[in-house]
Amino acid sequence: ARPGTAMAMALAWRAAPRAAARLLLGRRGIASCIDPSTGLTEDQKEFQKVALDFAAKEMAPYMAEWDEKEIFPVEMMRKAAQLGFGGIYVKPDVGGSGLSRLDTSIIFEALSTGCTSTTAYMSIHNMCVWMIDTFGSEEQRRRFCPSLCSMERFASYCLTEPGSGSDAASLLTSAQRKGDTYILNGSKAFISGGGDTDVYVVMCRTGGPGPKGISCLVLEKGMPGLSFGKKEKKVGWNSQPTRAVIFEDCVVPVGNRLGAEGQGFSIAMQGLNGGRINIASCSLGAAHASVLLAQEHLTVRKQFGEPLANNQYLQFRLAEMATRLVAARLMVRNAARALQDGREDAAVLCSMAKLFATDECFGICNQALQMHGGYGYLKDYAVQQFVRDIRVHQILEGTNEVMRMIVARNLLQG
Amino acid sequence: QAIDDDCNQTGQLLAAMLDWPQGTFASRVELEAGAVRVQREVDGGLETLRLRLPAVLTADLRLNEPRYATLPNIMKAKKKPLEVIPAADLGVPGGAPRLKVLQVQEPPPRAGGEKVESVEALVEKLRHSGRI
Repeated sequence: ARPGTAMAMALAWRAAPRAAARLLLGRRGIASCIDPSTGLTEDQKEFQKVALDFAAKEMAPYMAEWDEKEIFPVEMMRKAAQLGFGGIYVKPDVGGSGLSRLDTSIIFEALSTGCTSTTAYMSIHNMCVWMIDTFGSEEQRRRFCPSLCSMERFASYCLTEPGSGSDAASLLTSAQRKGDTYILNGSKAFISGGGDTDVYVVMCRTGGPGPKGISCLVLEKGMPGLSFGKKEKKVGWNSQPTRAVIFEDCVVPVGNRLGAEGQGFSIAMQGLNGGRINIASCSLGAAHASVLLAQEHLTVRKQFGEPLANNQYLQFRLAEMATRLVAARLMVRNAARALQDGREDAAVLCSMAKLFATDECFGICNQALQMHGGYGYLKDYAVQQFVRDIRVHQILEGTNEVMRMIVARNLLQG
Repeated sequence: QAIDDDCNQTGQLLAAMLDWPQGTFASRVELEAGAVRVQREVDGGLETLRLRLPAVLTADLRLNEPRYATLPNIMKAKKKPLEVIPAADLGVPGGAPRLKVLQVQEPPPRAGGEKVESVEALVEKLRHSGRI
């Protein structure tokens, strides 16, 4: 970039106390071992550039405020949707961008450097739109996808219940067929966007016990019998509201069912394969930003008469953080390629990538916080928000324990 | 200033050839009836000119905020046709560039400065070296 551009933008950002923001513009870890653009095609580098620019200008300056005031940044997300970020891997004929899983991973990783919590919500939204795009009828695709791709409407994914988290297939929300409607009763827990979003992709029981009795219905806010619990108070992910979703004799037309009765669990799991890559990608972005923050701090902070960066222990730790970041990134991109190529091992690779990347990246962000010393604990510094925001990535979209179950099953039964 | 040679002459040359007014380094442009009000970034600050139309303007960094490229447009860019028109077809005398680079050299390394004892001595020195 020309020096003038960097300076002009840096001046505009002087008001933002976020070192991350300045760093993102000045040095993105480009031309270094953690450069996220290595090995990408020209097009992918362009996508990444747009996403990084957008993250630096439209997200990073506000991420702290969104976290503190628990703001769901609807306007910013709609701006992102105008660039094509509302349905990244959804087909273009219904408003999507038609990109690959790898393109998607690159984009979410880049956006996450600006605000991990909001990017994670956007990835959930994208997952829901993809499910409707892929498993919906022509009529359903045209009814739901365009307004979701533009983020005129927002979506939520409803699988988890108070009584069924890891054991998702044991869900209890029932959908009784009555004429040409289903009557839903039950509740969902921990729903991202719940109460503020418009479209709900709900896994519910239409048949017998186990996964084969589950179907997928699309509900809309305003349907009679659909209500929401209180907004949860969370450690992170505060730029997206989390609520219980409650169904009390909720009437849903049969025409809102995605796919066949009994296909719901499969639809949910296929959605999650991509969702796991997306969440892992969000962790990568947070870790990358944290490594840059740590790098900056080590060069600036002095103790015992010299910059922290002269300290071999810290040099080694930074090197380890960088190495793990690159390893995690490769795992995620490898899984993305497998998924987009339709390989048989895609699902288990997605699980491995999610497990590895979310664990490693949390370690990286946590280590970056430690390197900041006392300052790392203050909310004036961005690193603590990255730590808090990605902590939950090790839990949702399948806990890292469930990821191990999937990998073990592949090894011992496959 | 062109991004390749920093010559800062294309806009000015064009204005001279067309005999049109010029507003270079424009950081703000406002159209009026038959004229344009141009705010320029100059060494001393900002200068505002009013030029009768037609006029030649050259843009400075601060004139606009570039739009973000959208994902679909990035993908379409590859497929856009690239039409190559030889200069001769447009009646432009082609041939070798008329600018020849004779030499490129680094500026001389900074020589050490000199300390003086008083303000009078400083003024004397400046006068002697022709600076004032």
